[in-house]
Amino acid sequence: MVDQPHFEDEKALSVWSALAVEAMKKAAEGFSGMIGQQLSITQPEVKMLPFTEIPNALGGPEAEAAGIYLRCDGDIPAQFMLILPYEKAFEICDMLFERPIGETEQLGSLERSALAEVGNLTGTFFMNSIAATTGLKLLPTPPAVMVDMVGAILDIIVATTGGVSDSVLVLKTAFQFNDREVKADFWVIPDQKTLKKVVANF
Amino acid sequence: MGNVISVGLGECKVSRSPDDELVAYGLGSCLGIGMYDPVTHVAGMVHAVLPELNHNEVPSPKYVEIGINTLLDEMVRNGAVRSRIITRMAGGANMLLNGSLTQSFNIGERNATAAHQVFQKLNIRLSAEEVGGNIGRTVRLYVSQGRMTVRVVGGKEHDL
Repeated sequence: MVDQPHFEDEKALSVWSALAVEAMKKAAEGFSGMIGQQLSITQPEVKMLPFTEIPNALGGPEAEAAGIYLRCDGDIPAQFMLILPYEKAFEICDMLFERPIGETEQLGSLERSALAEVGNLTGTFFMNSIAATTGLKLLPTPPAVMVDMVGAILDIIVATTGGVSDSVLVLKTAFQFNDREVKADFWVIPDQKTLKKVVANF
Repeated sequence: MGNVISVGLGECKVSRSPDDELVAYGLGSCLGIGMYDPVTHVAGMVHAVLPELNHNEVPSPKYVEIGINTLLDEMVRNGAVRSRIITRMAGGANMLLNGSLTQSFNIGERNATAAHQVFQKLNIRLSAEEVGGNIGRTVRLYVSQGRMTVRVVGGKEHDL
């Protein structure tokens, strides 16, 4: 355990920050291509958070949210989750479908598939960026969208990392489209071995 | 509204104060297992996370078998009589519907199966359960009457 880098390590954090900035730029390009209009993503603020604090950051474990989840296999296994409180998910849908603000009031299949695409693009661009920088191979899975309680959505990560005290990497960013802006948080949960490998290959 | 005691990931809590409500919020693949002695009014709940303990891991109530045993011990230590204990369980959902991901992540089902095996081994009869599906649940156990309820997103609290 002692020789493994921890999230708290400054070097690990700075490596992941650099990767995140690059990845978000690429993701914005991908989005703009998808919707045919210029969409930008602000420079992400990167920080580490103990896993147990995530539910509270999102309004409590019973709060309702939309979660978009991807896993990546290959050289560096990691999990990627974009989790949005209901209102934020509505705002993003308003923005993507160019609806007036406040028009989206529920997440039907059209909205869910748009959100899946948002998570998919950001997730895969993030992974591609890591792959390009480190030369490691990453294989992302298709995205899964869940609309449920925050606690239930996060159980996926809890169950796969098995950890109650692990930290996660949080990228706080905002999508900007025309004059609109929606803030969103991404959670990236690399396996312990992944952390080490990425830092070593940077 | 009573005094809410949150039962977080891997936690086991027991109460005999009639004002208390033991609550496990937003269970996905996790299990909320409640025990209650209707005579001494001792109530307890464990929020179990994983089906089994792998080697190298530190024993904790977050593993189903240890969780159930810990809860049973704590119940008895607080004045419950084993033969009277009513046991109920909810959770164990499969949150991922995506085919390729589902197969590797059926932890909810594995949690529920593990719990059933432990109950059988300990000769504990499960009075009620609501497990599986692909929906998150909040489970609540009221210490005063031993009422246990389940609530899902957009739904009303109902008795288990």
